[in-house]
Amino acid sequence: MAAFGSFALLIALALAAYNLFAGTIALRLLATGQPVRISPERLADTARRAGIAGFIAVTGAAFALIWSVFNNDFSIAYIMEHSNRALPAAYKFAALWSGQEGSLVLWAWLLGTYGFVLRLTHKTDVKLYAYAGTILAAVQVFFLAVINFAAPPFSLLKGAIPDDGNGLNPLLQYPEMVIHPPMLYLGYVGFTVPFAFALGALMMRYPGEKWIKITRSWTMVTWLFLTMGIFLGMHWAYAVLGWGGYWGWDPVENASFMPWLTGTAFLHSVMMQERKGMMKSWNVWLIFSTFLLTLLGTTLTRGGLVSSVHAFAQSSIANWFYVFMGIVLAVCIFTYILQRSHLKSEQRLESLVSRESSFLFNNLVLLAACFVILWGTLFPILSEYVQGTKVTVGPPFYNRVAVPIGLFLLFLTGVGPLLPWRATSLRAIRRNFVVPSIALWSTVIVCLAVGVRPWKNGAFDAGNFYALVAFAISAGVFTAILSEFLRGAGVISRQTHRNLFAATYLLIRRNTRRYGGYIIHIGVVIVVVGLAGAAFNRSEERELALHDKLPIGPYTLECVGFTQDSNLNYNSEYALLDVYRDGKKQFQITPEKRVYLASQQPQTMVAIHSVPGWDLYVVYEGTNPDTGQPIIKAFLNPLVSWIWAGVVFMVFGTFVALVPSLTPATAALRVPATKPAPSEPALGGGH
Amino acid sequence: MTETQGFVAGVMLALALGIYTFWPENVFASQRQKTRLDYLLERKEQLYENLRDLNFEYRAGKYPDEDFAEQRALLENETAQLLAEIEHLQQA
Repeated sequence: MAAFGSFALLIALALAAYNLFAGTIALRLLATGQPVRISPERLADTARRAGIAGFIAVTGAAFALIWSVFNNDFSIAYIMEHSNRALPAAYKFAALWSGQEGSLVLWAWLLGTYGFVLRLTHKTDVKLYAYAGTILAAVQVFFLAVINFAAPPFSLLKGAIPDDGNGLNPLLQYPEMVIHPPMLYLGYVGFTVPFAFALGALMMRYPGEKWIKITRSWTMVTWLFLTMGIFLGMHWAYAVLGWGGYWGWDPVENASFMPWLTGTAFLHSVMMQERKGMMKSWNVWLIFSTFLLTLLGTTLTRGGLVSSVHAFAQSSIANWFYVFMGIVLAVCIFTYILQRSHLKSEQRLESLVSRESSFLFNNLVLLAACFVILWGTLFPILSEYVQGTKVTVGPPFYNRVAVPIGLFLLFLTGVGPLLPWRATSLRAIRRNFVVPSIALWSTVIVCLAVGVRPWKNGAFDAGNFYALVAFAISAGVFTAILSEFLRGAGVISRQTHRNLFAATYLLIRRNTRRYGGYIIHIGVVIVVVGLAGAAFNRSEERELALHDKLPIGPYTLECVGFTQDSNLNYNSEYALLDVYRDGKKQFQITPEKRVYLASQQPQTMVAIHSVPGWDLYVVYEGTNPDTGQPIIKAFLNPLVSWIWAGVVFMVFGTFVALVPSLTPATAALRVPATKPAPSEPALGGGH
Repeated sequence: MTETQGFVAGVMLALALGIYTFWPENVFASQRQKTRLDYLLERKEQLYENLRDLNFEYRAGKYPDEDFAEQRALLENETAQLLAEIEHLQQA
């Protein structure tokens, strides 16, 4: 299979190169109208078909790699390093992305899949799709070149073939790891598609904003994958790393968060372009930056640029990525300079208090957050370059800057929908903001009453302060969104005489994009409430002899035994802990520590008991070598399950927004069409 | 699969994909050049949607009467100018 896989990758590279070359020539011929012997349309179609054929070739290579993993072909160095005979089947799939070579194959295959769908649906807008397909082919050429020449996955071992492999990194032997990386990669890779459309539309001076509507589903699906990838990664970190948290501002976590921030900004600001022909240059640069950040993310994860618990495959392919990022940036700048006259806004911002300005602020805040995170992530590299000493930036820096930015963003999430387009009068502000403001201040009072106070023993407590602000703004935003649903449903209910539930359903169906977006915002509110719970985390650590007790929060843990187990893949030792509440036994939990046989690496398996109010999170830290007794660390983490619940809302909201709207919202139109045509066009663009 | 078998399978894959790519077809998807009129018709749809949104939000109680009248007049004016240019281009 190694020969077939290598050959398939070479074929894929040749096809991608042909797609790029023939596609470029065909588009040039179509643009200039130059008479030639071969029809440019025919040439463009062979380029498109080469893209489809390339997908089949990469699929063949990916299949060959998976086949080799399942057949324990340890003659292939990659398989020997990342798999072993006793590895469960699901984790054999994970071996595909556990190392650099395999994960690049996954990148290429996902890119090929997106390209396959794009090229099959080219009739939507033949010329725009031809541009996008050619740009996509350029990205494919890069990745396939890296795979073929810098990180070949089918390299054979020299010398004797071992009987068994080194096994998969224990950190990756967890259920989320079977779906988290593909999700994250689907998000990373997927942003190539809106990037290709945006660059293509700019190159061809696409008349109007329809390209945005064409790419909307692509962008949203990609954003959804990235969102799911990030949160699955958080859940994995929470359940596997055993430090009681889910987000440590690790460079690789940051790398996935940065394109999410710019992608989110793009999804918002693009509405301004669609509705009012504004912010065109801004949007183009947002999507360019998002794509560049996905490349940076891949470099951080796979290129060995920074050290991270998540950087499972470090090597020296970073130079290839630097060069490619440089080329991409140069092409973007060159195209922008050449075509910037095409990006003139058709309208101006009329008021600083309007829906438009709330989108603008939202974008600025998201970009500020992105810049802060980028600065913190690259600071160790920059400091080493300038001073010769690597200065690491830790969570306190990010928390100090990102938490207030995040809270302001949450505030804008509530304010935006309440502001009308164009301009807002004081009357409208009074009318729309009263109820959310009442909810916000009521929450402040309730929180203060129950003890969530920004001071402790007379001193300012930043954690409690931010938690109080987060709860209060969340209440205000939730009320604002709820009032949007109720007001809209009220109109439908009056028009159609349906009950409020049926009216709400119809309301959502009539404008899935807007109300799907509101559902996503509800999810964000729930996530923020969950994150704010971290201010009240507590933990206890103790060495437990048999029948020793460890009280934490409302629970008491009693050690009733500790034992050992083993299978073909690992040996494990774990503690049996009975959990009591109010003197009654509630359940038993078994925190575990494993040592994987192939790699001889230890791994913690945390025991988590989750209820809506908190998580009981228990870690078996091993045994005290002097006494032989287990050391148990228990955490009580409030509101963590709200984070995962919020993600469910975000995913559901995105699905709703992806469904086409049923019918437009009803409204009587009385547009006078009798005005004479102006001597100068009233509307720019479209030329 | 031996190395030779893998090589043969690779050659067969290359042949099949080459034939698919260069198979002579005479019918290609094509489209005419988009005109300013096409663009204005797209914008018209968007402006109608903006008007529908404005009316809906007014009925939902988000706009005081005076604000609604002002916003509606602005949008209607914009739409009227657009419709006039569409009519002009269609007649030409």
